[in-house]
Amino acid sequence: MMETALDTRQETRTIDFPRFGLCTYTESEVISFPWGLPAFPQLRGFLVLSVPGQEGFIWLQSLDDVKVALPLSDPWSLFDDYEAQLPQYARQSLGIEAADDFCIMCVCVVGKGAAEMSINLLAPVVINLKTRMGRQITLENQAYSVRTPIPRKAAASPEQVAQT
Amino acid sequence: MLVLSRKLNQAIMVGDNVRIVVVAVDRDQVKLGIDAPREIPVHRSEVFEEIQRANRQAAGLADAEAAPARPAAPSTLATLTARKGPKKKT
Repeated sequence: MMETALDTRQETRTIDFPRFGLCTYTESEVISFPWGLPAFPQLRGFLVLSVPGQEGFIWLQSLDDVKVALPLSDPWSLFDDYEAQLPQYARQSLGIEAADDFCIMCVCVVGKGAAEMSINLLAPVVINLKTRMGRQITLENQAYSVRTPIPRKAAASPEQVAQT
Repeated sequence: MLVLSRKLNQAIMVGDNVRIVVVAVDRDQVKLGIDAPREIPVHRSEVFEEIQRANRQAAGLADAEAAPARPAAPSTLATLTARKGPKKKT
């Protein structure tokens, strides 16, 4: 029976995403969000995708609802003095013990026509790299905004890049 | 929704370990004190609602016309790497 469980984790699956087309993955590459995401509490399984030509972004693609994919960016690539002091509930619920256990990415919002872009520095997505469990965490530092404008020269938007 | 009336300094228990106290009442403003274990996140609901709106917009679901009409781009699984914190200033 244990062998069967192992096989399932390594078994290759293919899924067709409306945005990104066919994608092949194994169960061990899935990132689970046991609490879902704000606005998407029912979505639990995600993949992180990188799309050629869209450097600076990765996509958090839902497996439960293929229409849902959120662009994520490394906050330090845009704001090198960003400080994400994780509250205790975050460390506890994600089982984070060491500094290199986890990664932090922030959700980007691309406005109409990609003219305005913002990044959510107040609520980063934290992923435990060992357990591949993630959660969007609201920081206690009220100085950060959910819609921090991204200076236009700092990054090309995913939409812009995709159209070229 | 359960509706309870409370006076100044009276409290409500949510479960066994979350206590909400009315600390002050001043015209249309009520100050609440919340005692909750550190593992329970407590935030103003406007903050949570703002995060919900931003996520919905990030996912491109805010405007129904944003149907993904563009050709599928070949994608690969990304590798996540740990970040220890802010870059050291050089």
